[in-house]
Order: sequence, then C-alpha cells, then structure tokens
Amino acid sequence: MYSAALFGVISRIIPNTEVAEDLLQETFIKIWNSGAYYDSSKGRLFTWMMNIARNLSIDKLRSKDFKNSNKNQDIENNVDFIDAQREVTFNADTLGLKEMVVALKPEYNDVLNMVYFRGYTHAEAAEELNLPLGTVKTRIRMAILELRKHFN
Amino acid sequence: MEEEQEFIQSGILELYVIGDVTPDEKKLVEERAVKNPAVKAEISAIEYAMEKYASLNAVHRADELQLKIMDTILPEDEKSTVIDPTIAVNPTMNTIAANHMVTGIPDQSAKIKKLYFALAACVALLIISTAALYSAHNDLGNAKEQIFALSQDKEKYAQNASYMTQQNEELQTMADMPSDPDWKTIKLAGTKMDPKAKMVVYWHTSGQHVMVDTKKMGLPANDELHQYQLWALVNGKPVDLGVFDAKADSAHILVKMKEIAGAQAFAVTLEKRGGAINPTMEQMIAMGAVTI
Repeated sequence: MYSAALFGVISRIIPNTEVAEDLLQETFIKIWNSGAYYDSSKGRLFTWMMNIARNLSIDKLRSKDFKNSNKNQDIENNVDFIDAQREVTFNADTLGLKEMVVALKPEYNDVLNMVYFRGYTHAEAAEELNLPLGTVKTRIRMAILELRKHFN
Repeated sequence: MEEEQEFIQSGILELYVIGDVTPDEKKLVEERAVKNPAVKAEISAIEYAMEKYASLNAVHRADELQLKIMDTILPEDEKSTVIDPTIAVNPTMNTIAANHMVTGIPDQSAKIKKLYFALAACVALLIISTAALYSAHNDLGNAKEQIFALSQDKEKYAQNASYMTQQNEELQTMADMPSDPDWKTIKLAGTKMDPKAKMVVYWHTSGQHVMVDTKKMGLPANDELHQYQLWALVNGKPVDLGVFDAKADSAHILVKMKEIAGAQAFAVTLEKRGGAINPTMEQMIAMGAVTI
C-alpha cells in the first residue's frame, strides 16, 4: 500500500518511468534488507521508507551515469526534461490535488514540493527561488502546518 | 519551555522529517525528541501529515511492477526474518549474490552446456552424413561401372544372338535347298586367269533369288581397290548381278545378289570397287553353266 506513495515521490525526482520503477524496486529491496535498522521509537515507518526512496532517487539523479544517460536523450525528450527541471510549480491537475492546492498558498506549495518531491535541499531551494534560507524554512513549516490542519 | 518552542518553530523538525538535515542536526533532533514529549509529538504530527500528503500524491503503478517487486522480495521471506544488525548488510548482499548464483549463472551455464551438446551433436551428424554420402558416392560409381559392363556384355550377346539367328536362317535356307527342285546349284570353275579358282552360286529359278556361298568360295582375296562382280549370261549378254568381297571372316554364309529370271551361265570378274557396267573379259576368274 506504500508502494504507490513511494513511487509518487521517486517519479517526481526521476521523471523517467523506467528508471523510477527500477528505483522503486531498489527501494523495497533496501527497505527489506535493512529492516533491522528501523527504530519505531524514532518515527513512523513511512517516513523511514520515504527517506530511503528519496535518498536513492537523489543519489541516482546526481550519479554520473544518470546524467550521462540524460545527455544522450534525443532533443525532443531533452526539451521535456529541461522543462521538467525548470518547472517549480506543481501540476495539480495530474495529481488530483486541486482542492489541496487551493488550501496551500502558492509560495508555500512551491517550496514544499521542491524540497519534498523534487529532491532539492532547502538551501538549494533558497538559491533557486532567490530567497533567504530562513524564509524557505519558515515557508516549509507553514506549508506543513497547513497540511496538518487539513488532515487532522 | 520557551527554548523548546523556539526549536519547534525553527522549522528543523519539518526538515528532519523530510530528510533534509545534516547528521549532526539529525542526532540533535533525535536527542531532543527523547527528552521532550512535545518535540516527539510535533515530529509525529509532521510525519503523519507528510505521509497523508505523499499518499495523496501517490502514483499507481501497473500490477506488473508490483508483481515484480513481490517476486524480488518473497523468496527472501523464507530466510531469517530477524536479521542480526551487525551482519545485516553483508549476509543480505550475499543472499542477493547467492540468488544470482542460483537463478542467474547456472541457468545461463546450463543453457550454454545444452548449446554445446547441440553443437557437438550437429558436428557428429555432419561427419556421419559426409561419410555416408562419400560411401554412397563410391557405391554409385561402382554400380555405374557394373551397369556399363553388363550393358556391354548384353550388347555383345545380342549381337551374337542376331548373328547366330541370321546364320541359322541361312543354314536353314541351304538345308531346304535340296528338297526344293527350283534351287539350282551352279559350280563355277577357274578360267585361264586362275585355274584353281572356284565358287558356288545358288539360283532359285521361280523365286529368281541368287546367292553366293562364301564358305565354298575359292577365290583369292581381293584388295581395297577391287571387288568381284557376278554376271549372268542371258542369251549371250552379260547382266550385272552385283559385287561381293572374298573374305575369310565374312559374317554371312550366303550373300544375296540381284535377282535374275533366266540365265544360261554365271561368271565372275575382278573389277574396280563398286563394279563396272560391262564385264572386263580379261579379268574373268570363274565361270559355270547352268545345267538344267
């Protein structure tokens, strides 16, 4: 039941479906193999799994062979890829999240998604959005507070 | 308390949940969480919200991938569910490697082995077929030679048989002659040219057949340029009856000459090959009158 949520995270960091599927599989293998390291007192299982998926995806994104494989893509695909790289706002239509997004202010939404779904560190997001680090941190916190209000 | 509130509000807990903290920060947050239930509760609330958020953003995959994942994970289910943390990573690495050994490499090598067997079988088959083809080719050559020899033999026998049949017919004709009063036997005697020459001509008066008996021929052998010519004297005029050769190994006993209805005498002259229109009297070698 977690696989769809984890795949959602992976596929937003790695748009290539094939690679994302491989990463999901890798994630499950890692989760299974390092199950002994999960400490339930430290947090929820999903958070732990999500971080594994996220770290694997970011490692992949920054790995040499992935960058090279992207360089080898055709021009048409590359345009999409660059668009995807630049796209900071969330495409709410594809996610079925219209209602949710209305609840979140766009500036919160952008920062949260960059960090949570796109694999940016908050420092990178600050640089990208040309905002002070503290503002990014605050926006992330405010966005999550909005979500908490919505879910609780 | 104020310090805790500040810590909570700094936003580090959110980054901690997202996974965007340094190892030191992570350690700090975990220490605080153990000490302070409020921090722990805050983390839990953030985690819950983020989990829900992730679920809303879930992307559903084709069943195929889930099956693939289950396949990868399930076989390991049979192995120890409690993993010793100190050896957790390496043994699983080994099991993965072992799985590859079990499912991957032997499978491959078995296939290769099979292919080698198939290849060896093919080569063996090729050698056997080549040998068989070679021996068959040899046999065929022998058979052809035998067929050729047999057909030559057969031809010889057929020739022989036809020769014998012909001779038999001729002998039959000769055997019938005495009982047929129409057959006249004319003995030709040598002339001045060669007193020793002699030959026999058979003449059937009603059938008009004229035959020369080669077995009873006593003429010197003629050369390539000349042939003997038989003549019939009809009312004092010579009539050509054809040419013949005087040879020791003639295939025929009887040589058929041209037909003649009536004759008083037969004569033989030596003429140039092919015969002459009129007999050369100086070259007359034998002559005999018909006795009625």
